[in-house]
Amino acid sequence: MRRNAAFLTAALALALPSLAQAQTVAGDTDSKTVGIVGTVPAMCFGGTLSGDGTFDLGVLVDLTTGQLRTDLAAPDKVLLGSYCTSRSSITVSATPLEAQNYVSTPPSGFSRTVHYLATASGWTTTPASYDTGAATNNAATQTRNTAFTGDITVAISNFSTSGGSTLRLVGDDAYRGVVTVTLAAVN
Amino acid sequence: MNWKPGLALIAIAAFPAAAMAQTTETGTVAVEGSVRPVCILGDPNPALVDLGQLSASSGIRAGRIAVIPTQTVTLPGSYCNFAGSVVTVTATALTSDDTSSPQAGFSRAVNYTASASNWASGASSATTAALRDGSSPTANGTGATQPLPKVADITLTLSAFTAPGDLILVAGNYSGTVVVTLGPAAIPSEEY
Repeated sequence: MRRNAAFLTAALALALPSLAQAQTVAGDTDSKTVGIVGTVPAMCFGGTLSGDGTFDLGVLVDLTTGQLRTDLAAPDKVLLGSYCTSRSSITVSATPLEAQNYVSTPPSGFSRTVHYLATASGWTTTPASYDTGAATNNAATQTRNTAFTGDITVAISNFSTSGGSTLRLVGDDAYRGVVTVTLAAVN
Repeated sequence: MNWKPGLALIAIAAFPAAAMAQTTETGTVAVEGSVRPVCILGDPNPALVDLGQLSASSGIRAGRIAVIPTQTVTLPGSYCNFAGSVVTVTATALTSDDTSSPQAGFSRAVNYTASASNWASGASSATTAALRDGSSPTANGTGATQPLPKVADITLTLSAFTAPGDLILVAGNYSGTVVVTLGPAAIPSEEY
């Protein structure tokens, strides 16, 4: 009988490690989670302007008539690598070409102002445009719904003499205007 | 060994009668218990790592990822009461809350390296490799085996923050996670 009892005890002892091993699987692992957050603000970069930043139109008038040339043109300017990190708007505005030295009111038959159309294309489906001679410029601001990076081409065209095409421009060696392109992040 | 269970019960019942027949008798009662193998990780401190602004706001890298200093999280008093444990790190890249696919030239993901140290030799590291659209954001890494029961403060470092292709980051709120797991080096098959 004692031998049988000892055998039973040994059998129980052998069973215990097996039980412990099974528990190892059940609950010996722990996990913890660390969150990481950050923000990227909406921002825009207007790009790098190609060339010297000047539309040089040369002589504005037809030397035989004194009136505005009909073939005025200047190479486009490009804003390279422009981007906005969010929804954005592009706005173009411009000031007419005006005589810088002859600032008084010109006599009858003359003008000291040349209007033109400035456009900024490549950013939106419809280019932003601004006519210096127009009372309103509804197309001056265009909106893009996604972040974007690319080149913006700025052009000027459709030159016209303020007051009418029959007017002659007063003599001045400096007619100047400014085209401004603005990129803005939109919330 | 022609033993039968019924015979053992009879033998145990017979012992008290045998003791009464002698002046002194010594009996042995076995006391047994078990300690469940367990691993516990301390609560992360901090539980949330706020990196602030991820992109450079000026200079030649404006719009691209800024230099983000290494971040440290401590899991104090972590322990395993058995030999043969490992730390596993599962890192998920930060991605923007705007889930739309970014335009060309942009990324909505920020990758980094998560590394848990002070448990075994070396560290448990994982470097995320999300694509610019935020896909495939998760990476895993398991370190060396700790051969002894151990209690220690596990240090989790977050470093080497990068954007896929070093692209411009889309504006938005970014979030990611690191899951630290402490457990046995090799989980045996379940034997229930």
